[in-house]
Amino acid sequence: MAPTPPTDAELDTMIIARLASMGLDITQLPPGSTADPVTGSPGQLSVLASLRSFMRSTVPTLAAYVVPGPGGSLDPRLSQQGAPPLLYPSVTSAWTDR
Amino acid sequence: MSAPTVGTGGGLDTDQPTDRHVDRRSFLTRMSVLAAVGASAVSLPAVAHAAPQAVPSAVAVGIRPEALADITELTLAEAAMLISRGRLTSERLVEAYLDRIGAFDDTYQAWNTVVADAALARARSLTDPPRRSLLYGVPLAIKDNYFTAGIETTASSFAFEGFVPEFDATSVAKLLQAGAVVLGKTQMGPLATSRATTPAGVVTTVNAWTPNNPSTNPGGSSTGSATAVAGRMAASSIGTQTGGSITGPSNAQNLTGLKPTMGRVSLYGIVPLTYTRDHPGPLARDAMDAAIMLQTMAGEDPADPRTQGLPPVPDLVRAATPVNRGRRVRWSTRVGVIPGFTSGTSETAQANTAFLDTLADVSGIDVVDVTLPEEWDLLTGGAFNNVRLPERTEPFLHIMREDLRLLGVSVTSWLQGALLGGVEFITGQRAKNLLLERVLDDLFDQCDVVVQTSPVPFDIIGLPELALPIGFSSSGVPIGTILGGLPFGEDRLLAVAAAYQAQTDWHLRRPEDPDPDGPAPTPLGTPRRPYTQRPAGVRAAARPRPERGRLSADEVARRSQ
Repeated sequence: MAPTPPTDAELDTMIIARLASMGLDITQLPPGSTADPVTGSPGQLSVLASLRSFMRSTVPTLAAYVVPGPGGSLDPRLSQQGAPPLLYPSVTSAWTDR
Repeated sequence: MSAPTVGTGGGLDTDQPTDRHVDRRSFLTRMSVLAAVGASAVSLPAVAHAAPQAVPSAVAVGIRPEALADITELTLAEAAMLISRGRLTSERLVEAYLDRIGAFDDTYQAWNTVVADAALARARSLTDPPRRSLLYGVPLAIKDNYFTAGIETTASSFAFEGFVPEFDATSVAKLLQAGAVVLGKTQMGPLATSRATTPAGVVTTVNAWTPNNPSTNPGGSSTGSATAVAGRMAASSIGTQTGGSITGPSNAQNLTGLKPTMGRVSLYGIVPLTYTRDHPGPLARDAMDAAIMLQTMAGEDPADPRTQGLPPVPDLVRAATPVNRGRRVRWSTRVGVIPGFTSGTSETAQANTAFLDTLADVSGIDVVDVTLPEEWDLLTGGAFNNVRLPERTEPFLHIMREDLRLLGVSVTSWLQGALLGGVEFITGQRAKNLLLERVLDDLFDQCDVVVQTSPVPFDIIGLPELALPIGFSSSGVPIGTILGGLPFGEDRLLAVAAAYQAQTDWHLRRPEDPDPDGPAPTPLGTPRRPYTQRPAGVRAAARPRPERGRLSADEVARRSQ
């Protein structure tokens, strides 16, 4: 059974905690939804809304994807063999005579 | 693919383009030589080429009457030829460009910094052109995310405000070594995210074709580099592309832009946006100018491992030289047309159709319909495109800790990058490998180059793209398109573009000046007429005009490349 999707409040807590664990403090941004007139930086509520949307779209899509294995197999024991990660695929293509 | 062909001299057989030349034996030989050299390799000059490179052909272009009537109309190739033959001095050309900057840049706002005195001093020192010169004495514009020794490099950000590098980016150093003159640094999207704005999002640069309408898309983020060339304030320029920022401004402003394969040009000394997707390259007036720029910028750099062990840089000047006045393409090429490229009745669709019709009439070009690889939209869109975001966060983390507002209007996508986990990042890197496999095996099984409707897919996997003009809208705004190629297939892209441009004149059209009271044209060989508004010393950016509008943080996050 799939877990219950996180609420806005739960996501806000996770986002603020994750950023804080990296030493990032979103209270440096203006309170509320109004951007800082000098720097253009968004208000805290605006940026949290954007980050919640990001967490609800990008992360689940990537987490759900199964990289196909040999013969296009989606069996997780075979998909592990398909397409190892490449930071620079075009550079690697030259190194491997593709 | 056909078997690799190696010329008798150990270099490339120039009768085939590089995309059919993958030369692993040469690579292994070079690696063994470098290994044997060992520690002494560090004594190589900063921009030494360990790999053999083709000696570029001499540039041979005719000088157009329009260019003789006004030297700011000269293409880079034309200018370099006249300078090398002693018919034009670098100083005179720099003066002519500075006059136009002084007259028009309050409107265009293409420049962040103009180093007027330094450019003139360098131009005056360039009095001994080599017998064969690619760009000796030619004035260029540099995007403000390239390090330039002694010149402030801001990347349009609060974070880099006041930063003056002590060294040049490798590609800038190569241009200078070849005799280029740096006129200054160009406006750009904040940290290379969107169209050019101040770090706080106030719109600066306009499209040179509609200088009084800031809402016309000028292309981003190499906006100022494009406007500087389109507005004839520089002969050519360099930009960077992470999600379309060379091809987009080139298409928007009637230029020929070349985003090379990842690794073809060093990224050392360029403010990173996305390590694995940043591509330096030229925004130029035509295919030959783009070839000259890339020929000069490209090659191995000891400071950038991504440039090492790659196929040698071929003779790009020869590739961009039309064959039989463009009636034949240099190498037989299948041009792939993806679904939807000519669909509909829009002006763009009509221009696309006419573009393909012109190509189809070129001997040696076959225009063929192609299908896109499986899961194309998924692997090139939304979430998989967002995999790039942690790469911008990591190098800026310490600046973000200091004060998030130092990221200005761009901060949102830097925070998004901080949230993406390692698991999703690895999935994204595996997907890049998968996407490249499918592009090479499925798409390029059907064609040699392919038209693009978005630059992003080939940015994700680092493949080359060339943007070129193909028409105008009824309102006079340029229409362009993009050709994508195989890894290191820049020469084939240039050959196709050269054939097309020999048959058409879109690329020769220039926008009207925004003010009729600007400097008089400077004909070749006549005394220079003094112009009072020429900038001197170091000219700062023109004052932004709030009435041009301001991008919000949400807009920047949505448009971010």
